[in-house]
Amino acid sequence: MRRHFPWITLVCGLLLVGLTDVRFLSPANLLGLATDVAPLLIMAIGITLVIYIGSIDLSSQSIANMTTVLTTIALPAFGVVSGVLVVAAGFLCGAISGMVTTRFKVPSFISTLAVGGIALSIGQYASGQQALHMDTVQRQQAFGWLLGKTAGIPHELMAAIIVALLAWFIQSHTIAGRIFKAIGTGEPVAVASGIHVERYKILAFALSGMFAAMAGVMFSVRLSGGSPTLAEGFLLPAIVAVLVGGTPLTGGVGGVASTVIGTMIVAVVRASMIYFNIPATGQQIFFGIVLIVAIASTIDRSKMLTVK
Amino acid sequence: MFELRNVEKRYPGVHVLKGVDFSVGDGEIVGLVGENGAGKSTLMKIIYGAVQHDAGDVLVDGENVHFRNPRDAMKRGIGMVYQEQSLIPNLTVMENIFLGFEEPFVYFGSINWRKMAAAARKQLEKVKLNISPSTLTSKLTFAQRQLVELAKVLTLEERTEGKLVILLDEPTSVLSKEEIDLLFTLVKELRRRASFIFVSHRLDEIIELSDRIYVLKDGVVVDTIDGETANAADIQKKMVGRDIHSQYYREDRQSSFDKNNVLLELEHVTIAGRGNDVSLALHAGEVIALLGVEGSGREPILRTIFGMQKPEKGTIKIRGEPVNAFSAARSVAHGIAYVPRERKIEGIASGMNVFENMTLSQMKNYSWGGILKVPSERALARDWIHRLSVKVPSENTDCGNLSGGNQQKVVLAKWRSGGSDIILLDHPTRGLDIGAKEDVYDMIRDMSQDGVGIILVADTLEEAIGLSHTIAVIRDGEIRQWFTCLPGSKPSPFDLIQHMV
Amino acid sequence: MSTLLTADMIRKWAPVLVLIGLVLLFTTINPHFFSLRNFARITISSTPALMVAVGVTFVILMGSIDLSMEGTIAVCAVLFALILNIFGGSISGIGWLAIPGALLAGAFLGAVNGIVHVQLKIPSFMASLSLGFIGIGLSLLITGGNRILIDDPVFRSLLTFRIMGFPLMVYAALLCLMVAWFIQDDTVIGRNFYAVGGGEDLARASGLNVGRLRIIGFTLAGIFYALGAIFAVARLGIAETETGRNFMFTSITSVVVGGTALRGGSGGVWSTLVGVLIVNVIGNGMVVTGLPDYFQDGVLGILVIFAVYLSTDRRSLSFIK
Repeated sequence: MRRHFPWITLVCGLLLVGLTDVRFLSPANLLGLATDVAPLLIMAIGITLVIYIGSIDLSSQSIANMTTVLTTIALPAFGVVSGVLVVAAGFLCGAISGMVTTRFKVPSFISTLAVGGIALSIGQYASGQQALHMDTVQRQQAFGWLLGKTAGIPHELMAAIIVALLAWFIQSHTIAGRIFKAIGTGEPVAVASGIHVERYKILAFALSGMFAAMAGVMFSVRLSGGSPTLAEGFLLPAIVAVLVGGTPLTGGVGGVASTVIGTMIVAVVRASMIYFNIPATGQQIFFGIVLIVAIASTIDRSKMLTVK
Repeated sequence: MFELRNVEKRYPGVHVLKGVDFSVGDGEIVGLVGENGAGKSTLMKIIYGAVQHDAGDVLVDGENVHFRNPRDAMKRGIGMVYQEQSLIPNLTVMENIFLGFEEPFVYFGSINWRKMAAAARKQLEKVKLNISPSTLTSKLTFAQRQLVELAKVLTLEERTEGKLVILLDEPTSVLSKEEIDLLFTLVKELRRRASFIFVSHRLDEIIELSDRIYVLKDGVVVDTIDGETANAADIQKKMVGRDIHSQYYREDRQSSFDKNNVLLELEHVTIAGRGNDVSLALHAGEVIALLGVEGSGREPILRTIFGMQKPEKGTIKIRGEPVNAFSAARSVAHGIAYVPRERKIEGIASGMNVFENMTLSQMKNYSWGGILKVPSERALARDWIHRLSVKVPSENTDCGNLSGGNQQKVVLAKWRSGGSDIILLDHPTRGLDIGAKEDVYDMIRDMSQDGVGIILVADTLEEAIGLSHTIAVIRDGEIRQWFTCLPGSKPSPFDLIQHMV
Repeated sequence: MSTLLTADMIRKWAPVLVLIGLVLLFTTINPHFFSLRNFARITISSTPALMVAVGVTFVILMGSIDLSMEGTIAVCAVLFALILNIFGGSISGIGWLAIPGALLAGAFLGAVNGIVHVQLKIPSFMASLSLGFIGIGLSLLITGGNRILIDDPVFRSLLTFRIMGFPLMVYAALLCLMVAWFIQDDTVIGRNFYAVGGGEDLARASGLNVGRLRIIGFTLAGIFYALGAIFAVARLGIAETETGRNFMFTSITSVVVGGTALRGGSGGVWSTLVGVLIVNVIGNGMVVTGLPDYFQDGVLGILVIFAVYLSTDRRSLSFIK
């Protein structure tokens, strides 16, 4: 039952808003809704991998912020390669979080917070604390492929779907994905089965950093610029998307597919707030409460000896 | 006067205590002995209120009581001196003594440290410990901590009416000879104030100290012995004396092993932090049982061989090759397998299904370029489900939902299918019912026949004797004696016990 | 034994040595650093930070964590300014009610935090993070995103009135620190925080109501966040959602850098004072020596990793999430 709860919520939400305004359910509107959350989806998928192994990543937003700046700066010199470079930088940031967590035994919420702080500093330094803008021609040359539409489907959405499929494939069809699951369901078993658990934990964090950077690239291309606060307000909805989708904080179940549903729920909730005239400031309160409810109802308490 | 009448306790699938009668008189010192799994710890927990009994009566001075938690028990004068340190290391001695009972020293919200120190000093005098009450607990020696624990329990004297009953759980396990003597003298003196229930593996100490000794076996009190006339051999006999014929352990299937094929060799290995020297050789088809009391150092040997602990000194050779790097991953790659005692924590990943569990240690063999070949994983799982007759609807079933016996089969299938030929079994039959145990015994014989070398830490003495080709008796981390166990001429439990205690 | 003792001593006094070293370093680079005026500047920026860090110290002593401070501070600051302005705009009049009002709000948010964490059995970092988001949302809702200006000279005298070169708020904060010290060292609750941090199961076995204690700890933390909020408003004369910004990262860094271990049970408010000073000396020193202040987050990030690394007893931990 609990397994089906997320998509039932999604359908109910869609119907609820659809009842007040049928136009909401029009394919064009839904498509727009999905495209809107494409960067969020990519970031949430990254966080999913880390939560799936029972850790947490609080650095995603800062890494995305840093990425928007770095992409904008690197664009004139490197063109499309700038995207590759910053995604690699994101991977590196995540790997550092992972190494600090596993080798130094620093809890992940602290290590990712700290790496987030470092990423923020880099973003601020690189941008000189200003909003930067991309040259329209250069942007079109390098990232024009992200902006168009094919058969009515925006390329941004397609890119997000491809990324999601890739992540899903990693999670469900590769050794790494299986090991992530093993770490999430029972880390001691994984260790006692002779798995290099630390390496794979670092990989999960690194992938999360990489996805956060992808989200940043997409966002900066969309807004044609970068600033160290551009992706502000992404962290809460991204974590909400993961948890509402059905990946509990204790890890081991749920995963990428769940997060896709979770992100759609977030998108529908956001849209419905506009339809029901709830001020945007209320959104944060609402998501905060949803987060608590989602954690409380999905967390596996048998895995926690004491709750600290 | 404290009494249990016909007390029952069941956990899912296990009947732990079957109508236990138990009593402690005023000023009496009562010993409690039994093998692991006999129900001792459950009985103690019921006495000090950590666990509630299902049926029967608990009486204090003839009055029926029901403890919901240890604090309730404390209010009736029943206190526990824990085997594991229960003192909080970062607090001072006096804070520990009065933890949870600070009210008498609080004036307008502020703790009067001088008063607390004076009161603590009074308690410390009772146990003849001359230390400052404001010493940090982490700075004390083990023996001092033990005495502080005792002092802490003795505060109940001022807080409750009537006499105290104090449980001592393995109080001597970390003490030196002199410290033990000191403790015993103290306990004897304190009987004016309290009765004691003394739990220990060391029978000589139990006999020395106790007025009466309860022998617990399989959840039943099998005998009560007078402390004056007791002797260790008698008690031991009553603790283990089980009548099981050799068929139970499949002794007829025990075949001789290949003396020329050494799989694993330990040469003068010192286990981390134990300062010992262990040497052994495991041959193909051989079952070596490591035998010793709880805490004698059997598990660290297994964990060192498996690479989860690094040895301080000595060499470990696998098929003649010395091992340099120590990690579980390295051991698995060399064909070593580990079936842990904590099956639900280290053995089975609940939340993963049967085939995922089976390939966890050998995904390389079921993948191509990092991508898993799920159909072949499933085929493997189906094959082993059939071979070991695992009772499971399909290979997609979550292993968390299987019975203990079937979980153990999955764990063994994981290692066997991966080709491991050095298998370390840590309490492989713990918590299993009789049928499942017999399945495990059969599997052990099968593996022996296939030339697998096994090191076994068994649940009971008979199990070790019944299953093994060779027994190593371990005491204080060292191998004290070797026994050969040929079918028909196996050593008796009593031969072995002499070397264990 | 003696080598162990010295290792212990070094670990205990290391933060103080670091603080002295930093002061010396910045003084060598720029002698103006070592002046009363600059020290006053450092202490002013430290004052709100100290209150917040002291609050979270209680929580960390128990081995939990609180990440809700940014939201709580925002709500308390905004409420404080609102009440003050409604009741005549001066704390010399009945506007003083704003102070207990803000403290009450802090206590309430802290209590909610504790209750959510304990009753719903959610790890504290996540419960408090969620509540922090809710707090920020609440303060946005109250202000509509606007700033509230405070121009009450009596209240602003916390900053403007100086004794021996240091403003009144520094002395007020020291007084609060004394109260925190008293709570930590001489009350049952304070001592029980240490007991829970030192061994939760053992504390429970001794009959402590650990859940209740946790809720009290979070409530107390909330009150100190409110104090921090009041000082922050006094410092800038503005109350807004942004008032709470950056407090989460800097306060936790301060506590950890000061020597209070994340696993709980060791350290305390004096360590936190040292930690807060280290963090603020770094911030100030970077400005004085001409480095851009936005490097601070990065430096603090590295600092916190390093401090947690040094304070962790890695033998006792097998799995870190």
